[in-house]
Amino acid sequence: MPANVYLPLLAKVISVKEEVGGARQIKTFRMQFLNGGFTHKCGQCAMLSMFGRGESMISISSSPLVKDYLQFSILKTGRVTTAIHDLEVGSVIGIRGPYGNAFPIDAWKGKNVLFAGGGIGLAPIWSVLQTALLRKGDFGELTLIYGARTSQDIVFKDELADLRKTMAVHLSIDVAEPEWKEFVGFVAQNVLDKKPSPANTIAITCGPPIMIKTVIKALKDLKFEDDQIFTTVENKMKCGIGKCGRCNIGRYYVCKDGPVYSWADLKKLPQEY
Amino acid sequence: MDKILAKNDFARWLEALASHRLYAPQNKDDAWTYELTESPDSFSLADVMTAVPAKKIVFPQREELFAFEEGDEAGYALSELLPREKPTIIFGLRPCEAKAVTLTDLVFGGEFVDEYYWKRRNAVTFVGLTCLKPPSPNCFCLSVNGSPHGTEGLDILLTDLGDTYYVESLTEKGEKLVKAASDLFADPKPDERTQVMRLHGESEKKLRRSLSRIENVPEKLKGMFDSPFWDAEAMSCIRCGICTYLCPTCHCFDINDEVESSSPLQGRRVRTWDTCQFPDFTMHSSGHNPRPDKAARLRQRINHKFQYFVEVWQNYQCTGCGRCITLCPVGIDIINVVEKVRDHAS
Repeated sequence: MPANVYLPLLAKVISVKEEVGGARQIKTFRMQFLNGGFTHKCGQCAMLSMFGRGESMISISSSPLVKDYLQFSILKTGRVTTAIHDLEVGSVIGIRGPYGNAFPIDAWKGKNVLFAGGGIGLAPIWSVLQTALLRKGDFGELTLIYGARTSQDIVFKDELADLRKTMAVHLSIDVAEPEWKEFVGFVAQNVLDKKPSPANTIAITCGPPIMIKTVIKALKDLKFEDDQIFTTVENKMKCGIGKCGRCNIGRYYVCKDGPVYSWADLKKLPQEY
Repeated sequence: MDKILAKNDFARWLEALASHRLYAPQNKDDAWTYELTESPDSFSLADVMTAVPAKKIVFPQREELFAFEEGDEAGYALSELLPREKPTIIFGLRPCEAKAVTLTDLVFGGEFVDEYYWKRRNAVTFVGLTCLKPPSPNCFCLSVNGSPHGTEGLDILLTDLGDTYYVESLTEKGEKLVKAASDLFADPKPDERTQVMRLHGESEKKLRRSLSRIENVPEKLKGMFDSPFWDAEAMSCIRCGICTYLCPTCHCFDINDEVESSSPLQGRRVRTWDTCQFPDFTMHSSGHNPRPDKAARLRQRINHKFQYFVEVWQNYQCTGCGRCITLCPVGIDIINVVEKVRDHAS
């Protein structure tokens, strides 16, 4: 961590992959530090800097076990992310971080892990999923339940096809499409439909705020205990270090004290996210 | 160490401190604010509550963080713009403002040390002035662990004894200012000590407002998060943000880039004061807003000051200066709001 907490490190883009086109474009970028750098933990975020445009907090979707690059999957939605979408291989960007706590994955050895994601919300839990695959012997059964608005909006399509060879993958879209063979409905409904067992299982969920809330309710209906459910929350951020004052949920700043919360902890806080 | 300084000698003291930048309350465009003193001759120690608090000196409304410049090889040169502050003295600080600085210290310290803040803050020596009479009709410092003669955060506390000032040096920094012209300072006589104690005692009785029995407010607020109370209280709010911009303890800020040239790209990253009272403060780029209306935003302001900050730092994030009451254009009164929280049926 450099002494100046606001000064980003420089990195260059080493690959750009178009995940989703259309109105809600998503691209995956891999970035390599030019000088110096940092290592992260699963669930942590980094503040990406587009000089002249500003900064945006993005979760790091690559596994900490991958040392060559940091990966970010980014929805084109605002001033900064629109500029990031124009980046090409070789472009230079600023990065500061890593920020926030992490998923306590070392405490999950021997447990089954259920991932429930929606839309771009797969990115923040992707680092855990990748780490679990790389450390396969450490965990029990892995299951992914993932949904998007339309089949077009599904991220990591190639990776998901590969994943099916090693773990259970259940996809859904919100509204029926002619070619779609899998579940139609919201992620929470798919969770209830697949009925994952809470026995020796940790559930991790991330997506839009409404999805997080409904999936947690579905997991509770399936008798998951509060401390078996983890989520990672997003709020608008500027500083990333608990000073600018906007991302708090109750007394905790999501940037510094989050973004990862067990439901046992999050349920005690004001539901303001 | 306590000393006596004749008011006639005050200008000579300032001369001895000429290597410092001197701030004192001045009336500028019909508003009191702490301004740099051009010369000791124009200096006066006004007994006022400024509209703009002294936080602007340690935490300016606009601060440049670093400059960026696009280089030839698609890279960027970044240069830190850390403040290089000359030694600075703020004169005439109200005790509630000095206490407020100790609270912002907590925010800008910790695991991530904010060098911009600390470079400015450490350059300052804080010389306070006892509030013999409340400088605002809405002063309520005693209710939030403060006092009209409080010394928290101060390096020197001056008390006006008529023709002289009673000078309490509270820190090494304060001591240094006295030593810069030690021949001007006399030891207090016993009756002067008695007089200052009497004045301090009396000052506590002169406050016109109070906020009593608020020990249970943090706990009370927890149970009121979803109450329609907040809608009623925030009804008249016009989300101008004055309550927070002019609060000595509010520290929220925004970070933005200012572009000076687009080819090659050159500019500065700056931070500016921001406020939880603005709708876009928390609005996600998706349009989702965790605090979607002014009720949620008033709730945040009160909860931050009287619950969250208390839980994290064991102190109210309010020092009772009353600015947010006096200057609110629609009459939202933090004392009334917190009293209603206190008395709310749970």
